[in-house]
Amino acid sequence: MRHHFMGRHAGLLLAGLATSALLGPAAYAQTKAASAPKPAITAQASAQIPRLASGKPDFSGIWQTLSEADYDLEPHSGRRDAPPSAGVVEGGKIPYLQGALAKKQSNFEARSKDDPRLKCWALGVPRSVYYPAPFQIFQRDRDLTLVHQLGHQVRTIHTNETLHPESVESNFWLGDSRGHWEGDTLVVDVTNANDETWLDRAGNYHSEAIHVVERWSFIDKNTISYSATIDDKDVFSRPWTVNVVLNRREKGFELIEDYCFTLPYDEFYPPKGGK
Amino acid sequence: MMMRCLPSLLTAAAALSLSTVAFAQTPAPAPNPPQGGGIGWSKDVPKIAEGEWKGARLSDGQPDVSGHWSNTIANHSNFTDPQGGAPGEKPRAAGLPRDQRAPSRVSDPADGQIPYLPAARAAQKDFADNFANPTKPQYIEPLARCAPGGVPKSLYWHGYEIRQYPGYVLFFFNSGTRIIRLDGEPHLPANIKLWNADSRGHWEGNTLVVDVSNNNAKALLARTGDFASENVHVVERYTFDNDGKRYNYVATFEDPSVYSRPWTATIPARRYSETDPAGGEWHYEARVANRPGKPPLHERMERICVENNGPFGGGAVGVPLTGAIIGR
Repeated sequence: MRHHFMGRHAGLLLAGLATSALLGPAAYAQTKAASAPKPAITAQASAQIPRLASGKPDFSGIWQTLSEADYDLEPHSGRRDAPPSAGVVEGGKIPYLQGALAKKQSNFEARSKDDPRLKCWALGVPRSVYYPAPFQIFQRDRDLTLVHQLGHQVRTIHTNETLHPESVESNFWLGDSRGHWEGDTLVVDVTNANDETWLDRAGNYHSEAIHVVERWSFIDKNTISYSATIDDKDVFSRPWTVNVVLNRREKGFELIEDYCFTLPYDEFYPPKGGK
Repeated sequence: MMMRCLPSLLTAAAALSLSTVAFAQTPAPAPNPPQGGGIGWSKDVPKIAEGEWKGARLSDGQPDVSGHWSNTIANHSNFTDPQGGAPGEKPRAAGLPRDQRAPSRVSDPADGQIPYLPAARAAQKDFADNFANPTKPQYIEPLARCAPGGVPKSLYWHGYEIRQYPGYVLFFFNSGTRIIRLDGEPHLPANIKLWNADSRGHWEGNTLVVDVSNNNAKALLARTGDFASENVHVVERYTFDNDGKRYNYVATFEDPSVYSRPWTATIPARRYSETDPAGGEWHYEARVANRPGKPPLHERMERICVENNGPFGGGAVGVPLTGAIIGR
């Protein structure tokens, strides 16, 4: 069994290295030229992307970013808890309202204990997409289901021409997602999010007024271009956009549930008879 | 805290009060009483034969059983006397002759009891004795802390949705998600233990057969403290009626460290559809989609429970809501 365990991880490591060697330059170019127009997919690549019987692009599979987006969306030097990155924000800086920047800064100071990810809570949208853990997309004509390895996170992106709900009992951790197709690009409108989540480990944050528009499209059959335009009138002076590349995990890779919020109490079970 | 409450927390509270209220208002369990649009207090377990599947199929050949489902004989308050109430509860139905309540979920042995080894029986009884007034963290039923419902308890907690894809059957529960892989690949390495275990399945006619291992056994089977150990091996048979309205879950539990012999659980389930009222029912957690001018379409709501960490029964300490749990 140990051999089996090692085998899996060795394979994972090798595939990971191969993937980053192959895709690193593309990801770098994407990040560095974050404000430049995205390169159009070639006709050859378009012919090779997986499609449903309906002809729509089929994003089914297990995806994960190689980017440093979750550490800090903005350009930054390397530091104790983050590798360096040119950032993934178009134009470089997040346009905070003058009165909102102080909270970001205090979040940053307290990030080693206040980041909601440290409780294994749901990460919100878009952070759940570029958090560096795998997620699996299951796709039907009527919806895409994103099952994230971390925690309880499951998101349905409805693609059946339904609208956002008129009202909700309480806002959602991953918002309410309604998608439509613009050619081969899936465009998703995300509303009704709660304000419990951060946007990265650097304390970038949002309010319940957050409205996200995501764009998902294939660069090639194993690579997704993902962008999220974030609008929040209570926190930002204008909408702003992040661009991230998602890579398909290697053949044979499987999600392993990670309900890490149970760690403080899982020692109590199963019953041990009063001991 | 209320701002932070999740639908699942609210419905959990509703389920708690419902279980009491519903019993209190029920003079006698009539056959299929119309409880809140189909809430399940049936005491019958229909027979569904294994055999050919004659219904619709998906593109990969799987029987199409996708949709919203729920059990029909009360929740996880009590495993072997499903309508008898949780330990410490005294629902009126508990005073009726035993045969006027739904049968035990244990269909083998014939006495309806889990064949525990003596030490395991003592541990189960210790949990049940302390459930109503938990004085230690170990007596809090883990679902009350947002833990996944696990196998098989998720099937008789709230309603759930089955979605199917080539090579997969997925269960989206109120607390947790189960991915059943149909690709014939082996289980995860044995030292990996999971709340929802590791599930590898295949279809035999109208029956989904699932081999379940890698179970951390922490979810428990019910508020009565029934349990397995992480050595448990479960073989599940989900047999779907060809009319698409029902299935029976029949599962064999084998765990020589806890049980004196293998035993079988039988759990009936029914499909919920747009002809059933959505919303407000813990057995049918669906919402009417917003699409003006079109026929009703029900859709699942987000079910993310991370803060339902309070104790049941009072007295016990929940889980801190602040501070780091992981360092990654």
